[in-house]
Amino acid sequence: MTAAITFTTVTCRYGRHTAVDAVDLDVAAGEHVALTGANGSGKTTLLRAALGLHPTAAGTVTVGGESARSGVEWARRRRDVAWVPQRLAPGRFPLLVDELLDSGGHPDAARAAARQLDVGGLGRRPLHTLSGGQLQRVFLARALGAVTAGARALFADEPTAALDFDGQEQVATLLAKLPVTVVVVSHDRAMTRACDRVAEMAAGKLRVI
Amino acid sequence: MDGFLDLLSLPAVQRSAIGLLIAAVGLPIVGVFIIGLDIIAVRFAMMHVALLGIAVGLLAGLDPMLCGLAACALAGAGVAPLARRPTGLPGAMGLLMTFAIAAALLVLSVSGVNATGAFELLWGSILATREIDLIVLGALTVVVHVLFWRWRRQLALLLFDRELALCSGVAAGPLLLALLVVVAVAIGASIRLTGALLVDALTVLPALGARNLGRSLRSIVLWAVVLGVVGNTAGFAVALLIDQPPGPVLVLVAGTLTLLTYLIPEGARDAIDPGRRTDRGGDPVAAGQRVWQH
Ligand SMILES: Nc1ncnc2c1ncn2[C@@H]1O[C@H](COP(=O)(O)OP(=O)(O)OP(=O)(O)O)[C@@H](O)[C@H]1O
Ligand SMILES: [Mg+2]
Repeated sequence: MTAAITFTTVTCRYGRHTAVDAVDLDVAAGEHVALTGANGSGKTTLLRAALGLHPTAAGTVTVGGESARSGVEWARRRRDVAWVPQRLAPGRFPLLVDELLDSGGHPDAARAAARQLDVGGLGRRPLHTLSGGQLQRVFLARALGAVTAGARALFADEPTAALDFDGQEQVATLLAKLPVTVVVVSHDRAMTRACDRVAEMAAGKLRVI
Repeated sequence: MDGFLDLLSLPAVQRSAIGLLIAAVGLPIVGVFIIGLDIIAVRFAMMHVALLGIAVGLLAGLDPMLCGLAACALAGAGVAPLARRPTGLPGAMGLLMTFAIAAALLVLSVSGVNATGAFELLWGSILATREIDLIVLGALTVVVHVLFWRWRRQLALLLFDRELALCSGVAAGPLLLALLVVVAVAIGASIRLTGALLVDALTVLPALGARNLGRSLRSIVLWAVVLGVVGNTAGFAVALLIDQPPGPVLVLVAGTLTLLTYLIPEGARDAIDPGRRTDRGGDPVAAGQRVWQH
């Protein structure tokens, strides 16, 4: 199952600063879109807004035609859209790799994906002991588990930024095969080439190339 | 030694020992929540919130201790929305403490109730444990264990990263609310049951030590209970042996135990981790052996 995603005049602010400025974007069901653009152009904020992690000052995002307002609807949205964050705000307590993998909703699929991404042996390690690239692979594996669990789309925010060249190729191929809608923030050639379309953000505005 | 055994045969001392043991099994988990939420000020905050509740109770002619606990529950629930900001909770606890002191003093002054009298109602002692106190402590311990073991996956995610929890289907808001209310009421009640000083030996001290030993929330909780039981049993025995008040002795013993955990090198934690399970994933060699066995 896959779902179309529609961003309609989405606007997000941090105080007075407009980080995302009236962005319109239609992503067809099953389509893979790469989102590029300069640092600070609003890519992360746009995706976080679609997950209800950042408030929108205006505009809406629908997934499979459904918008989200209530807590229940946002919870559904977050089940519908698997998420690979750009960075974490880790708390005071450690979390084990296995606990993270299981949290995607499909432990078996996530662990299989972790093995495929060469991080299968790290299950009992706390996340803060992983290298940057290992952490990114684990998050990808979790998201693949979430897709198996029924997520209809994947948002990945620079999922290959910390990966070695082989890893970048490997993940690009892996995501290209995913049968769900994908929006991936990436500056990496292998990834943008593997997508159907590239959209570029500049100073909060979006243009499709 | 004879004096020690004589003391232990006293029903009052036995009741204290049982009370302490029950508290040492349950309250260290509250300590883990406190450290996890970064709200060490909660003890001072709840002390004064409870005082405010007691003052209101005395003024209104209601049961002062019940009012104190209700005030704690309300205050815990009241600060929950602030947890949306990463630094919201620690600051809120400090603010709450100051507000509660001021409000309590004002209510006491308006009602003409003697402040010392109100404080005495709040301030218990483990040596004055009654049967009803044992029941309350037991109930608290059960509630805390149920909250942890029933929702430990969700709690591990929530205490690691709220957004990750939200994206994993955890009802972060309600869970945090439950956590804060349980912590607030547990602290309020334990001040009444064990005395304010002992609350630290039973909550944050074991939790701080456990954070140095455990590698996951589960193992941190197990370690906290172990440290709580060992520290408090040893502390109580020492207090009886040297015939000194248990509060300060217990805190010193529990504190020393906590300090010792700082001496354990990071690398040695693997070997002593009670949360360690060798049956799933983890060690690539073990995984290889499993494949070979099938
Ligand atoms: N918490 C915050 N408070 C204030 N401003 C913020 C905050 N987070 C982001 N911003 C600002 O909003 C703008 C957009 O940030 P965002 O993280 O969306 O950019 P990005 O396109 O993802 O950048 P990058 O490529 O570096 O990841 C930036 O100017 C940034 O400084
Ligand atoms: Mg970004």
